Amino acid sequence: MSTEELKDVQIDHTVDGIGEVCPHTLNIALKALKKAKPGEVVVEETDHSIATKTIPSAVKMNKLAEVLGIVEENGIYKIYLKKL
Amino acid sequence: MEFFLIDRFILAAVFGFLYGFLIQKADFCFVASVRDYISVRDSRIGKGVLVLIATALVGWGLALTFGWASIGQVWSVPVGGMNLIGGVIFGIGMTIAGSCASGALYRAGMGYIQFWIVIASMLAGNILFALIYDPWGAAVQEPLQATETGFSFYQLNLPYLLLPLVVVGFMLFITIRQFGIKGVIQGVKDSIQDLKGNPLTKSHWDIRLVAFLLGVVATLQFILLSTISITGPETRIAGVALSFVFGEDFVYNNTYLNQMFADFPTIGLGPEETLIIFMIVGAFISALLSKSFKIRYPKARRLPYAIGGGLIMGISSRLAPGCNIANVIPGLGGLSLSSIIVVVGMILGVFIATAYIFKMPLLLFQKLDLD
Repeated sequence: MSTEELKDVQIDHTVDGIGEVCPHTLNIALKALKKAKPGEVVVEETDHSIATKTIPSAVKMNKLAEVLGIVEENGIYKIYLKKL
Repeated sequence: MEFFLIDRFILAAVFGFLYGFLIQKADFCFVASVRDYISVRDSRIGKGVLVLIATALVGWGLALTFGWASIGQVWSVPVGGMNLIGGVIFGIGMTIAGSCASGALYRAGMGYIQFWIVIASMLAGNILFALIYDPWGAAVQEPLQATETGFSFYQLNLPYLLLPLVVVGFMLFITIRQFGIKGVIQGVKDSIQDLKGNPLTKSHWDIRLVAFLLGVVATLQFILLSTISITGPETRIAGVALSFVFGEDFVYNNTYLNQMFADFPTIGLGPEETLIIFMIVGAFISALLSKSFKIRYPKARRLPYAIGGGLIMGISSRLAPGCNIANVIPGLGGLSLSSIIVVVGMILGVFIATAYIFKMPLLLFQKLDLD
């Protein structure tokens, strides 16, 4: 999804991963996905650049969530995940 | 002194810059290469490490075959129990800290305060080791040493390229069996996509491409300058800092630090220390170009991880000896027996910390139930 489309997506859970590094950034996403119901959208906010690669790979590889996309603003990444 | 000619400093700075630049471009994290594979079956970075090892092996084999470097220049250290113990502890330390030795440097250049703290703690760990080694450590360490000198499989009287080609051939065979020839060719094509347009301003390059380039740069360094290492030079940087506070005699009177400066005309920074500093500079420029530089403040509750992990890495890198970079690139590339043991230890260490300290899911071995 494009950045514009992502901004219109309804977010069900937002989790804070700013100031965190691996593996905490991934653990935060996994915990939030565990809490969410299927179909709900989880957004993790983080400033850890590598998390924009590791979190999408992890959820795709294990079919945990659909990666809707990533929005970057002033060095903060918002990773959009839709629980499967 | 020949060793301290200015051109060696310039070469070291260029190599350091290239390493820092490349590692930042791929977010090349050795901890993640193992942790993410066992935890969430993500093999992307692991594949990068394998490409790096393969490139270094062929690079070292070629350099020796054509006489661009001699067997005496291959890095290897005495073999023994310390290789495994040091490797395991280093693996645990880097997982706790959230980065390996090279990861801390490139992220320091990207503006992560946490990794400046990790580096400072590693230097403190180096000093702590030196103070334990003299007077007590040497007596504990020596009985665990099995050989007086290092051993590289290149010392066997075989053609230098034979073993690298056998190992890399085996790796290729496995890759082709898994992905097919078409898959491998597609993988190569995909990995060079990031060079299109203006690659300098892109925030991410394919890790396999970067791994190959790192292997080539390390081979050139092996031929032209020295073998890359991070924690040895960092120990000397810590020694220089120590000499400012307690005087040069304090450093010379410590057996361990004394031997670290054995080839130096004085206590100061040499080419390899310059290389380390320029790795941070390279990562800084790379991050600036792609607008990825940002001062990132860590959460206060994570500081014990940075300090503790860094201290553990600083101490264990002296035990093993060497960090992930020295043992993976010139170590495995140089077919050094000690490095093979250290790397096995590091993988074990990452596993232990992932499973028992962070209690991450281990999806390589079990299924995750999110409901």
